[in-house]
Amino acid sequence: MGGYGDIEMIDENGLRMDGRTATDVRPITIETGVVPVADGSCRMTWGTNDVIVAVYGPMEAHPRKIQRQDRAVLDVRYNMAPFSTTDRIRPGFNRRSREISKVTSDALESVVLLEMYPRSKIRVEIEVICAEAGTRCVGLTAASVALAHAGIPMSDLVVSVASGKINDIVVCDLNKEEDNYGEADLPMGILPNSGEIVFLQMDGDLSQEEFQTAWDYNVAAAYEVHKIMIEALKNGGVN
Amino acid sequence: MAIPLVSKLLRAHLLELASKDERLDGRGRWEGRETNLEIDILPRAEGSAKVTMGDTIVYAGVKFQLMKPYPDRPNEGGLMCGAEVRPVAGRNWEPGPPSAESIELGRVVDRGIRESGCIDVKSLCIIPGEKAWQVILDLFAISDDGNLFDAFALAGIAALKTATLPCERFEVGQDQKLELSSLPIMCSYHKVGNRFVYDANYKEELGGDERIHITLGEDDHVHSLQKGLKGIFSAEEFVEIMEKAKDTSKELRKLVNSVVGE
Amino acid sequence: MSGNNNADGPQDSQTVVPGENLGQSNEFEAGHGIMIRNDNLVATKNGKIKINGKTVSIEPIHSTYIPRPSDLVIGYVEGCTNNIWFIDIGAPFNAILPMSLGPSKASFGSTRQVIDIGEAILCRVQEVEETHSSVVTMKGMGLRKIRSGSIDDVDPHLIIQLLENNQEHLKNMKEDSDCRIITADNGRIWIDGEVEGIITVRNSLNSLSNNSRLLEQGGVA
Repeated sequence: MGGYGDIEMIDENGLRMDGRTATDVRPITIETGVVPVADGSCRMTWGTNDVIVAVYGPMEAHPRKIQRQDRAVLDVRYNMAPFSTTDRIRPGFNRRSREISKVTSDALESVVLLEMYPRSKIRVEIEVICAEAGTRCVGLTAASVALAHAGIPMSDLVVSVASGKINDIVVCDLNKEEDNYGEADLPMGILPNSGEIVFLQMDGDLSQEEFQTAWDYNVAAAYEVHKIMIEALKNGGVN
Repeated sequence: MAIPLVSKLLRAHLLELASKDERLDGRGRWEGRETNLEIDILPRAEGSAKVTMGDTIVYAGVKFQLMKPYPDRPNEGGLMCGAEVRPVAGRNWEPGPPSAESIELGRVVDRGIRESGCIDVKSLCIIPGEKAWQVILDLFAISDDGNLFDAFALAGIAALKTATLPCERFEVGQDQKLELSSLPIMCSYHKVGNRFVYDANYKEELGGDERIHITLGEDDHVHSLQKGLKGIFSAEEFVEIMEKAKDTSKELRKLVNSVVGE
Repeated sequence: MSGNNNADGPQDSQTVVPGENLGQSNEFEAGHGIMIRNDNLVATKNGKIKINGKTVSIEPIHSTYIPRPSDLVIGYVEGCTNNIWFIDIGAPFNAILPMSLGPSKASFGSTRQVIDIGEAILCRVQEVEETHSSVVTMKGMGLRKIRSGSIDDVDPHLIIQLLENNQEHLKNMKEDSDCRIITADNGRIWIDGEVEGIITVRNSLNSLSNNSRLLEQGGVA
């Protein structure tokens, strides 16, 4: 088994440092209604990731130039709280947050039935309170739960999962240490009822075979996460 | 922050309630909402707390950085306290650079903690003139149902009290607790229905007038005051709320001590 | 996920989530919160299924008020011009109250003297454009400016609960409090009477909201 530096990320039994197998996802909880003043909200913990999403709207879109005559606009903001990482994040403009906000918005626009609310705006506020690895996946998944909780019509929920490669082995849902030493990362946003994809990014180095394995791991994991999302929306509770 | 419409009927109703010594949510005039304090909830912060007061929810996180002491104070470290109310916390809060409202929030909390002297800035110095700790307290609102001031101040002081200096990570010795010599506590009063009440909720703030924030330390020493918003109050009114703040701050200090431990 | 297929078709009061497949559409028609995809009924909202004759719809757990013609609503005046009031009715867009549909004593340029900014009115939705902008009217029985009492807010779908069983809950509240209570379709409730009575009604509304929150969380309330 090829090591990376002098750190063994996977033991001879195929178990990872935190005891998971290659296809295991970190523990997940979802709780709805955590922002009482919002129209819909949820808190999702995924490993030590802790993300809160609040949804406001539909409301009148301001200023008027952002209005669309035939549909609503989604105003998605992804942000990391200053204390969410080991090194403090300075509040303010951030290129990474902007990009993640945009791709999250693009993914959600594919499922939210925006044409039902012309000229209005739906605000989705994603706040990362504690970051481990894969916050964009948690943010997108939690945002779809919060939108459903707010009563916004959608054709499906979105489940986002990432797989990657460590020590030349493809594994699902990298944690912080694995992410630091990871050789590739493939986050995807999957519609659980149709298996279609609404969000896709990748960086690193994967062979065609490794890429296919990562893809399959993500799709399989998405169905597991979907069950927890349904449970939270039907019963509101922590899982 | 977008300024919402104030209903004339709400203001009239608040006056009517006040005349019967009642409040919108049935509380007594000096009664706070159910307050819950949790600590050590943010694994990436060196100290943290979450405060829930009714439907108002805030987080506070403490981080440390190494700094070069200021030339005029070579033996002292620094304290920085900032409040951020992002649009997640309510429909009136807007994205963009910090609003005047959130800057006021951060500065009032900052003054109460700084001026109480609860953090000995000299103890934060590692090498005089060369290296010292900077304590950074970040206040973060999740849900604004009124009185963010008290929620922030309570979460802030609790987070500081749980904080540990990460000396090992910065290779300057062994980790050690941040020492606090006192617990400054803020109590806020809002003029609602022409009389002051403690811990106003969002609707009371909306239909109310000026607010007064009082930070009291041990032995009721006054460390910071702030009057905010349009409105006029008398010396007698101030004496009354100061008396109430003495009692309320003691209760809240007890709460912090019972949760964090001595 | 194909395992989600609901072979028995939609069940009344069943809780569903967006994207959930409710079985073949066959004889059913898609109502509020339901879409048809490949001849299957698919939920688009989080809520409870309601089957009314052939129509399947979803009563959402949370909802934003969307105006419909003839709805009775309570609005706040947010602005005005010489001959139009702009009314916040709790919908995504402000409604318009033209002078011709306002109180008859209003004349061009005197809108603010008749109903000022910040004041509340009881009105009816006259028409709704495709874009959800709406026009409200004060012409009609009992429609007027609200001059006293208190306006409380509840989730719009709780209004339906108040009116269930021949308005049982509402009647009880009126008797207990000796107040006049008018429930509007946009989730606002006008309570008029002595302060003590208003407090009684408010407590009763709060417990209704709390119960619905508990029910939503699968509690035993």
